[in-house]
Amino acid sequence: MSLTETSVEMPKRRALTESPLVRGQSRSTSAGIAALAEYLPPRVATLSELAAEGLLSGSAETLASFGFGSVHLAGEESNLEMAVAAVEKLFVENDIDRDEIGLVLYATALSSSSTMWNAGSPRTTKVSPDSGAGSSPGKGSRLEPVLELNEVADLFRYPATQLQSELDLPNAAVIGINQLGCASIFAALRVARAMILAEDDLISVLCVSADKFPPSHKRDLIYNVVSDGACAALVRRGAARNRIVECSHVTKGALWDAGSLENEILAAYFPTAKSVIDRTLEKAGLTIDDIALVIPHNVSLRSWEILGRLIGCPPERVYTDNIRRVGHTVASDTLLNLRLAEESGRIKRGDLLLLFTFGYGLNWACMVVEH
Amino acid sequence: MKRRSVLITGATGAVGSELLRRLAQRPVSVNALVRRGDDRQAEITSILSGVPLAADLAVVAGDICAGPAMGLVPEAVASLTRHTTHIVHCGGSTSFSLPLGEARRVNVEGTRNVLEFARSCPLLESAAFFSTVYVSGRRSGTFAESDEGDGGFGFVNTYEQSKAEMEALVRAAMTELPILLLRLSTVVGDSRTGAVRGFNAVHQAIRLLYNGLAPMIPGDPGERVDIVSSDFVADAALHLIDNHPAGGVFHLATGAEASTLDDLIGSTVDSLLQFRPAWRKRSIERPLLVDLDTYELFVRSVEETGNDVLRSATRSIRTFAYQLAHPKLFETRKTFAALGGSGITPRPPLDFYPRVVKYCLESNWGMQQC
Repeated sequence: MSLTETSVEMPKRRALTESPLVRGQSRSTSAGIAALAEYLPPRVATLSELAAEGLLSGSAETLASFGFGSVHLAGEESNLEMAVAAVEKLFVENDIDRDEIGLVLYATALSSSSTMWNAGSPRTTKVSPDSGAGSSPGKGSRLEPVLELNEVADLFRYPATQLQSELDLPNAAVIGINQLGCASIFAALRVARAMILAEDDLISVLCVSADKFPPSHKRDLIYNVVSDGACAALVRRGAARNRIVECSHVTKGALWDAGSLENEILAAYFPTAKSVIDRTLEKAGLTIDDIALVIPHNVSLRSWEILGRLIGCPPERVYTDNIRRVGHTVASDTLLNLRLAEESGRIKRGDLLLLFTFGYGLNWACMVVEH
Repeated sequence: MKRRSVLITGATGAVGSELLRRLAQRPVSVNALVRRGDDRQAEITSILSGVPLAADLAVVAGDICAGPAMGLVPEAVASLTRHTTHIVHCGGSTSFSLPLGEARRVNVEGTRNVLEFARSCPLLESAAFFSTVYVSGRRSGTFAESDEGDGGFGFVNTYEQSKAEMEALVRAAMTELPILLLRLSTVVGDSRTGAVRGFNAVHQAIRLLYNGLAPMIPGDPGERVDIVSSDFVADAALHLIDNHPAGGVFHLATGAEASTLDDLIGSTVDSLLQFRPAWRKRSIERPLLVDLDTYELFVRSVEETGNDVLRSATRSIRTFAYQLAHPKLFETRKTFAALGGSGITPRPPLDFYPRVVKYCLESNWGMQQC
């Protein structure tokens, strides 16, 4: 399957509530998530199907009791193809002018996602009149993964820049954000906001996240079930929609080794999560009672029951609807949930939302946005 | 004047060893009853290291659980019965996790045997039985020296229950024997050196915090957690034995001056940072103080995950942590009045507790010689 063959239903256009600012317009001191889109692979597997395929190390019953039901599994599509699909959906649905995008932040969680290992075709980048930058490769052009390091050039091929090429974003510089686990997209949003506020000529930043779990690996990870997926968000200067009010990010490098420190990581999760959430609210001059809805990452429902109690938030104000249906899409959960919360009518303009995630590395990230 | 002859049980324990060191410096006879089969002679020698001996000291192998003769040979029983003027019964199990039957066997039946022996001693002047303030179980509020047991609220662990049942036996015997019932608070170590002889739940909690395996504890930040030093307990107990032969119930606790749970956790974290600066690199958060329902939800989740290390950690906390959900103040009015003029008072816990944390670190919780 090539990049163009990614099977995504063509989204319908919808009007953005704000127009992009143009150069020369007065500089806004805020930024918001003006548009959101996601891509979930069409194949869905239930816990029992995962167990039957040998893709669970723990018991399906226990995982079900933690709130999981099914996950999306990528087939042939690579993580980069999923990223492209999410962005194309974002562009089409929101009628976005590609030229307004001055920066792409490609945020990935898995180490494999930030290399060409899972990026799909490493196409020869020779530009011919028939195949300009951004055009899709022809059928059969896919090669095997290139992380073979047969030549020095293999060390300098990057999925983030290939993404820019695929998306035809000539005005956009590209930065890869990784090594933050599932918190990578939060780092992208934070950096996007900071750069927009710092650079006069930067209007819009495209934040993209995509991760494809290694196909043969067990899908349950510290009692969560991992799904494949991608999300894309347009952070725009002055956007009133999902205005980023405040964010916090804590890294605990002492717990970097996910393989050997699982117990310590599990034990650190709740106290640090509460601390990061409390700190974010305090910085924003808010309390949890001001938050209309918590937009979580799709980890165990039980863990959200506990964390909800710790931060003083009742279960009905934590948007956990997608844990059972989607599972944990690594870095894409929170934006996916934000979009679905919008679509479901659970939130209205002006609502204050608290977004939270946790990622290996070890990272906790929290953000308050005004919808 | 006849020479005092003291029979002490549990002489190798956290409190018993402190009492033994003090008794050994007096011109008295001391018979230390140690469990048969254990290498307790070497332990007794270690306990008495550096102590200027003034007592005639004998180590007697027996077992308080082995009937009224306590496993002693008949000649030893006869001799002890004839000469014993004081009994100091510290023996028993302080494990929080024993099955109730086993806890009863040691703490109730063992005490029954000691009482039976006491009844046979014609020269007996005083018998001190060590108990715990946590016979109060799940009660909340003030627990006075005159109060008895759990008041129907139940117990947190089998230790508490077995000690409450032991107290019932002892109280019943108070009408016929000169008995002091000494209820101890949680003994954490020596106030001057921080040295710990018996590592207990508090030290285990310090260890879990140090290792980053104590994410949450049930309790209210402002509730008081009563801890005492082993030297205060030993000094106070001997003063009461010496001066209150008529007996009674006494609380060897800090009482109203006990530290808050929040302060105690804060002192633990500060001490770990002070005495093991590299610990800072681990970025371990303070345990959260949570309500009981949240804690139980967490415990249930850990149980369901099947993670052995966390399960073991939460289980070891659970054996005492539920006590924190039932805050109480141990009244010490009667005890402090009885100690009046002696100069024996409990030190403010936060004055000496950091030394205990330091000792835990330096001894690796008893695994290494300090």
